[in-house]
This record gives sequence, structure tokens and C-alpha cells, in this order.
Amino acid sequence: LARGIQHTAVRQAHRKYEPNFHDKYGNLVLLGGTAIFTTVWGYVLTQLGIEWGLSPVGRITPREWRE
Amino acid sequence: MLASRAFSLVGRRSICTSLCLRAHGHAGVVKAEDFTLPAYVDRRDVPLPEVAFVRDLSAQQKALKEKEKASWTALSIDEKVELYRMKFNETYAEMNKGTNEWKTVLGGVLFFLGLTGIILIWQKHFMYGPIPHTFSEEWLSAQTKRMLDMRVNPVEGISSQWDFDKNEWKK
Repeated sequence: LARGIQHTAVRQAHRKYEPNFHDKYGNLVLLGGTAIFTTVWGYVLTQLGIEWGLSPVGRITPREWRE
Repeated sequence: MLASRAFSLVGRRSICTSLCLRAHGHAGVVKAEDFTLPAYVDRRDVPLPEVAFVRDLSAQQKALKEKEKASWTALSIDEKVELYRMKFNETYAEMNKGTNEWKTVLGGVLFFLGLTGIILIWQKHFMYGPIPHTFSEEWLSAQTKRMLDMRVNPVEGISSQWDFDKNEWKK
């Protein structure tokens, strides 16, 4: 039985499948999508000048307001 | 995945050699009448499908089927594999094999989310007006002090986050 397993394992290793779209381009699509996402949203969140309305807690130093 | 590989190594089914590539089951067009007949299916929960995979046997395959009626010890390994491939399309290992589809899916999702961000850029550039002056640093700092002086939301809100003794935000 042990030899049969070894034989089978060798034969299985020889089997080759035609690569599909995901095999050929999956990594490219994944990395490209991640790159586009991070650059666009990095820009939107920091450089574009949108007011996000973040909490003043820990961020704003209170200043005297009475005239 | 390890379990299915172990099963395919020890179990009855094994991967076929190049000999078996010839005999294929249903190629190309399916006629309307075929939908009334029992069908072959590769499913984990259907170990013995209703029909064999290869429907129309070649002369060589028919001869092999005849040989199968005699003692199985007379069959070579390749003949056994050929008989297996006539009866089944994929092995369990082949059926269960994962794909790289998730990369395409995730990459596509992130790409279209990126397009959404580009829509935001367009909006900011062409659509939004100037930011109100009440969001400037001077205004916000005065506003914040006034809220704290009034003790706005002292229980769980902004005033609860300010340390009135040390005059700083709580850590």
C-alpha cells in the first residue's frame, strides 16, 4: 500500500492543467487593483481638501472665545 | 486541501496518465432530448453519478469493458485508470481543487472602489463649493472651548473627554 501511495503521488505530480484566466492574470489584477485603490483613496483622504468633520477630541486645542 | 490530497493518494480514485486524455464524455452541443435523460455530474455529495461520463465508447473502450468482465487482476494499472476515466470525469482531488479566482474578484472589487474615489475627486473639483469658514482652525478651537465651557454632553460626550483640572484632553 505504501508503494502504491508513492506511485500515485508521482503520477499526480506529472498531471498538468491548462492555466485559466485567474492563473494567468490573477496576481496582476490583484496588485493592480490594490495599487489603484491605495493611490486614489490616499489622495482623496489627505490631499484633496475634503472636510471629513473629524472629532476635535485629541485634535483641536481649545482657544478663548469671549471678546 | 491536505485531507483531499491524502484521500486521493490512498483512495480508489487516482489521477490518470496521458493515455486517458482521449476518451472524453460529452463534447460540444447538448441536444434538447438530453435534458430528459439522467445526467452525469461532478459533485462531492454525489459519489456515484447516475450515468457514466463517457457515453459513446470507442471500439477500443468497448473491448476494455469486455475485459473488465473477467478477473480484475488481469487488468494493468493504465487499463484500470482508463476504466476509471470512462466512468468519471474529475477525481475528487480535481473537483475540490481551489482556484485563483479570489485574486481576480478582490482585484476587481478594489479597482471599482478606486473608480468610486475618482468620482469623489470629480465632485470635489467640479461640484462642491468652498468649505464654510466655521471649519477653520481658529473657529474650531474657539467653538470647542465654548462647548467645553458650557459642559456640552458631560456624561459620555465631548466634555467627558476633557480633563478640566489639567486643562488637556484625557489620555
